[in-house]
Amino acid sequence: MAEVHVIGQIVGGSGFPSHSLFCKWGIHAGGAWKVIAGAREGQTQVDLPQNDAFAAWSHPIDIHFATKGLQGWPKLKFEVYHQDEFGRNELYGYGFCHLPTSPGMHNIECVTWRPAGTAREQIAQFFIGGAPQLRNPDMVHSAERYALSTTAMGKVHLQLGIIFRNFDRYGVEC
Amino acid sequence: MASNPTVFLLMLSGQIESGDFPEFDDLYVKYNFVFGPDWVITSGLEEGISQVCKKSQDGRQLFVWNFPLEVTFKSTNPHGWPQLVVSVYGLDFSGTAVVRGYGAVHVPIAPGRHQRILPMFVPESSSRFQKFTSWLLSRRPEFVDVNVVARSEGREVTRVRSQGHIKVTFNAITRDMKKLGYDVTPSTIKIPGADTAAALAATSAPAAAGAAAAAKQTTEANETVT
Repeated sequence: MAEVHVIGQIVGGSGFPSHSLFCKWGIHAGGAWKVIAGAREGQTQVDLPQNDAFAAWSHPIDIHFATKGLQGWPKLKFEVYHQDEFGRNELYGYGFCHLPTSPGMHNIECVTWRPAGTAREQIAQFFIGGAPQLRNPDMVHSAERYALSTTAMGKVHLQLGIIFRNFDRYGVEC
Repeated sequence: MASNPTVFLLMLSGQIESGDFPEFDDLYVKYNFVFGPDWVITSGLEEGISQVCKKSQDGRQLFVWNFPLEVTFKSTNPHGWPQLVVSVYGLDFSGTAVVRGYGAVHVPIAPGRHQRILPMFVPESSSRFQKFTSWLLSRRPEFVDVNVVARSEGREVTRVRSQGHIKVTFNAITRDMKKLGYDVTPSTIKIPGADTAAALAATSAPAAAGAAAAAKQTTEANETVT
């Protein structure tokens, strides 16, 4: 079987309306893919930046995949939350990105968005906080988002190293 | 040279170049490498402590450590790829060392020169009571085990404050990665690995044997180069 190593980190987040952010991440792959070693989901630390408008997470990722086919190429999914001084978490953004399909080092900026909700929900959110969330979080990495209204949020910064093994044996060109 | 290697080598050189910590002075760095169970250091230092540096008296307010990193790793499996864990310490008014930042980064997987800017952060007190006692005793919270910053488990319970950056330069060279079938750069995909060439030669029909032999020859040519 061909193998893929994903080695890198979720560096941090920027461009969100306020700080004190953390991120839940997960990796999704098709049925032909098997995780041999490494965590396939996790949650980062909460960072309150002192000077910069950049939440530092430095969250390591080290996953070893084995695969029988290219369908269902793995993708990373993110949920960024804001944590206030009372420890309450508010959703700040969803986002996903595919793993790069070439070996080497990659710097990735993953854009995020959040559900906007109805006008009434937006007014309520302005005064009392709390953000609408997706009932089905799988929507983040699926193409069925018809009739969902969203707004743009910040970016998640990733630094990933991709290592392939034995792709040449199966004639795969990357 | 063994024709069928079972390990690959990662030779790493580089330096902890400089840092940016506007609020502090008189800082030194500690570094160590954290890696998986399949990894072994064959030469070089696993950890080190730098000199104490004052920040530059100009607009940059820069800390320059210029501290060398030279280490060679050996492994059979890229999983558990080494990470550089850096912690910065300063002295408080009573002369005790206080942590000013922790940071971690993976050693680059691809050969070549790489620069990394590490955001540095310190843990925050987990409760108001601890915040008060740490203020009373003027002791900052620290990680008991520095290497938690290189692990992904249990991070959700930590709250940190990021302050400052460190710049690190790496020069990486790998050996025998391709022979074990690993591609770390797009340019090596065209060359069949040792195993692949053998498998191609063994499984291909007699008509294709010529092509496989040619492929094998390319690998051999490649082996002589390495």
